[in-house]
Amino acid sequence: MSFKHEKVETNAGILLVLTMLAISVGGLVEIAPLFFIKDTTENVEGVRPYTPLESRGRDLYIREGCYTCHSQMIRPFRDEQLRYGHYSLAAESKYDHPFQWGSKRTGPDLARVGGKYSNEWHVQHMIKPKSVVPESVMPNYPWMMTTKLDVSDIGDRMRALRITGVPYSANDEEYQRNVKQFGEPVAKTLHIPDAVKNLVAQAQEGNYDGDRTSVSELDAMIAYLQVLGTMVDFSKIKPEELVKFR
Amino acid sequence: MSATNQAAAGQYDYEIIKKFSVMAIVWGVVGMFVGVYIASELAWPFLNFDSPYFSFGRFRPVHTGAVIFGFGGSALFATSYYVVQRTCQTRLFAPGLASFTFWGWQAVIVLAAVSYVMGYSQGREYAEMEWPIDLLILFVWVAYLVVYVGTLMQRKQAHIYVANWFYLSFILATALLHTFNNIAIPVNLFTLKSYSLFAGTQDAMTQWWYGHNAVGFFLTAAFLGMMYYFVPKHAGRPVYSYRLSIVHFWALSFMYMWVGTHHLHWTALPDWASTLGATFSIMLLLPSWGGMINGIMTLSGAWDKLRTDPIMRFMIVALSFYGMSTFEGPLMSLKDVNALSHYTDWTVGHVHSGALGWVAMISFGSLYHMMPRLWNTTMYSVKLINMHFWLATIGTLMYITAMWISGISQGLMWRAFDEFGNLQYSFVESVAAMHPFYAMRAIGGMFFLTGMLLMAYNMYQTIRQGVRAEVASARAAAATA
Amino acid sequence: MQWFSNPENTKPLGLLIFFITFCLIVVWVYGSRKRSAKLEEYKNIPFLDDDEVKKDKSNG
Repeated sequence: MSFKHEKVETNAGILLVLTMLAISVGGLVEIAPLFFIKDTTENVEGVRPYTPLESRGRDLYIREGCYTCHSQMIRPFRDEQLRYGHYSLAAESKYDHPFQWGSKRTGPDLARVGGKYSNEWHVQHMIKPKSVVPESVMPNYPWMMTTKLDVSDIGDRMRALRITGVPYSANDEEYQRNVKQFGEPVAKTLHIPDAVKNLVAQAQEGNYDGDRTSVSELDAMIAYLQVLGTMVDFSKIKPEELVKFR
Repeated sequence: MSATNQAAAGQYDYEIIKKFSVMAIVWGVVGMFVGVYIASELAWPFLNFDSPYFSFGRFRPVHTGAVIFGFGGSALFATSYYVVQRTCQTRLFAPGLASFTFWGWQAVIVLAAVSYVMGYSQGREYAEMEWPIDLLILFVWVAYLVVYVGTLMQRKQAHIYVANWFYLSFILATALLHTFNNIAIPVNLFTLKSYSLFAGTQDAMTQWWYGHNAVGFFLTAAFLGMMYYFVPKHAGRPVYSYRLSIVHFWALSFMYMWVGTHHLHWTALPDWASTLGATFSIMLLLPSWGGMINGIMTLSGAWDKLRTDPIMRFMIVALSFYGMSTFEGPLMSLKDVNALSHYTDWTVGHVHSGALGWVAMISFGSLYHMMPRLWNTTMYSVKLINMHFWLATIGTLMYITAMWISGISQGLMWRAFDEFGNLQYSFVESVAAMHPFYAMRAIGGMFFLTGMLLMAYNMYQTIRQGVRAEVASARAAAATA
Repeated sequence: MQWFSNPENTKPLGLLIFFITFCLIVVWVYGSRKRSAKLEEYKNIPFLDDDEVKKDKSNG
């Protein structure tokens, strides 16, 4: 065994650098372009950030790990079109931090579940899925009906999302920009200073869990489920235009 | 004989390896138990007990975290510290830092599990840990890199043995993946909750770049490092072709990073990206099989040992499952196959044929090889190792068979049309049809878990034996002095 | 960066990078007889760790 010390040190270093190079190329070539090309950042009319209540519902969706059994990504196949609706567009999840496309359908896809069932159905289904779908293997979530939604940090949550690039407005200038982009009714719901007020108002007006006296976690959850996939009006988009949204 | 072993114990730093080995087994038992439990929840949903804490959605990351990072991670720390010292013939660099990697890593696993049960999750598979835990992982990982590279630098052997290359690429890749995939904005400094910096398609791409490379580097490259040391060492024969192992290493390191996008076929991700991923997935078959052949050829000529040595059996079966899942993987990355297999249990079965068949089996083999040497004794019971081997093999086969059947039937049922062009089955009919296979999967998991429990018992007795002998010899030494 | 976003550019580029690197490594590894012999000698490193194993059934 010849023992050359200089070589020893350079070798470990070279190995380190070369390995780093080899493992970096793939990620760079595949990920970097996504931040520049149009397909993935395309604006589609109707897509808007979630309201405070929907956003809290989305937090609960993540908290309960719904993505471990439900996908939110409809593929362009005939069977999926019939079962779930129009295939998902990139723009439909442009405000999703994180994305919830999922990888497993132990339960059905939820990308377009919004409006498919009534609020009452959802309440029954969340409390005891077997009461409406006897063969279901989904867990019961009865505590969501009885637990009050924590709204105290909704401002912080929206501010954090604003840093990631979701256009929630923190001041009048940003509010005006939202009015221009989304129209006044939507822009109002995106205004951070009014978050708690807007959240409670939507819960009472929507009456998602059938109890107007308080805002439960179930209110938020159902508000989120009911908006999924409903933002884009596909009757307004010409088929030939669709290609560019994929 | 025992004198030279004592010398070895003085020559190398074993304490840290002992700790990690024990924890690998502890987390193996815990993680696999949770796995059996959540598998049972799908077969018998009453097991969710209407409790937020036990529900499938919160428990599933506890399972994946405990088996991948707890069991797999601890086994990798243990074996990498063992291999790097022995192939460099030097002690660990910065033992204090190495000790930090142990306590830090165990804290990560515990904190992650507790936070999932409490409902804190980033909502991205295998990266569910929230930001403070991610930061801790980063510190531990940097310490690991320093210890590892430091040990390599002070080696007494001119050449760095190839097993270390694999471990090194695993450490580097994990650092890279972990850092970029977990960039998130915390809601505020006093809560665990955060939001990913990326959204939608970019987030999906980053996550699956991470997700598949966690498989590629954490669960493959690193365990190949294990294979390249423990298989030749245990067989008592050098690796079949060292040159092949070099080609294997570079091809694997380079190609793995491209393939993550095959998780996103037919989604809103641009088509070119997922096609590129699929292309590299197919090409990856070559280095993967090159490595498998290298491992199996190393064992050829020692076939007689297979009859008597269950540890050898673990290794050969691990290599066979490695070959099988690295064939199945590229197959599933083909767009047409993926159209059927994606979102179904087939994927789950594929993951487990790799995780149980390859990762866990090669770890069992390596741990069984290593532990008597660490405690300077012999295994308490070879018979129990043999039983463990059969339980693990049967369990794995049951598991993946169940998932193949259920996965393919799900895929076919979802796309079946009746003669009028309507969907033939409602979704819930496919759920109901899966029940027997979910039960079978849970039972397969129980087999595997039982084997793991036997291993834990066997190890406990072996360690006790080793410690007793050490105490006795110390007393004898004191008496003669 | 726009150039990279076009698959017609990145596909052959990726292929080219991959293929050249691969060829270089293969040439380096198998190219010279002397280097081959030296490389193959390294496979004995795991057996140089002066560890006399106990002969028992569990480790063959």
